[in-house]
Amino acid sequence: MTMTPIAFGLVVVAESCSVVGQIFFKHAMGGDAPGKKAKLTAGIATKAVEFFLWNGLLSQFDLSYLYPFDGLNRIVLVLAAWIFLKEKMTLNLWVGVLLISAGVVLVSAS
Amino acid sequence: MEVTTHETGKKPRKGWFFNPYVHIGVSIVMSATAQVCLKKGATESVTSLWLGVEVLRSGWGWLGILAMVTSLFSWLYCLRFVPLNIAFNVAGLIQVLVPLSAWLLLGENISATRWCGIVLVLTGVYVVARPLMRVEEKL
Repeated sequence: MTMTPIAFGLVVVAESCSVVGQIFFKHAMGGDAPGKKAKLTAGIATKAVEFFLWNGLLSQFDLSYLYPFDGLNRIVLVLAAWIFLKEKMTLNLWVGVLLISAGVVLVSAS
Repeated sequence: MEVTTHETGKKPRKGWFFNPYVHIGVSIVMSATAQVCLKKGATESVTSLWLGVEVLRSGWGWLGILAMVTSLFSWLYCLRFVPLNIAFNVAGLIQVLVPLSAWLLLGENISATRWCGIVLVLTGVYVVARPLMRVEEKL
């Protein structure tokens, strides 16, 4: 099945949910700030949306077609953690992330 | 080199069981286990559009869900102490564990390109984790 704009949009939504879910998780667990339960719930909800969207996409497309997006997702997540969580970025981390992302793309390309 | 292992000032309790890095490991292994179980469950059940629901009919499916929940709890525990971008990238090991266990347990093939990818991921995780190892040694 070829990738239609709608399917591509769904992939983007699924991957965004993955990033947003992780940010929520970290936010909930990282501090003693109020609203920990709400953030945790929001994280689990976004993860659930991702899970079902992803399963739906997997039934339509090959995993090897979808997996490269997971590699790119990693770069977006690191950027989001840097911007929204103000986590420290090191050169090591950038190099590592790029290597892992390239690796994920290769693993799925074959 | 300073790595903010405990950026919030919180310290895990003593003992290996409370070590957040042990829990990244648990989370990774459980996540890979979940993938293998779900795949087994999915091949067992009838293939249809409702695959995601049908998997609940097989014991493997439930085992996979149990593993996934365990993985989530370990993951949340480690996030209390470890920065997200470190934890997430160390968890990149899943990308290696899943094809390896698919090869060993499900008899799936690993091509040359895929091996290259696995080596790249391993190198990347090593680069991310190396400064941490140094810090942990000092502790």
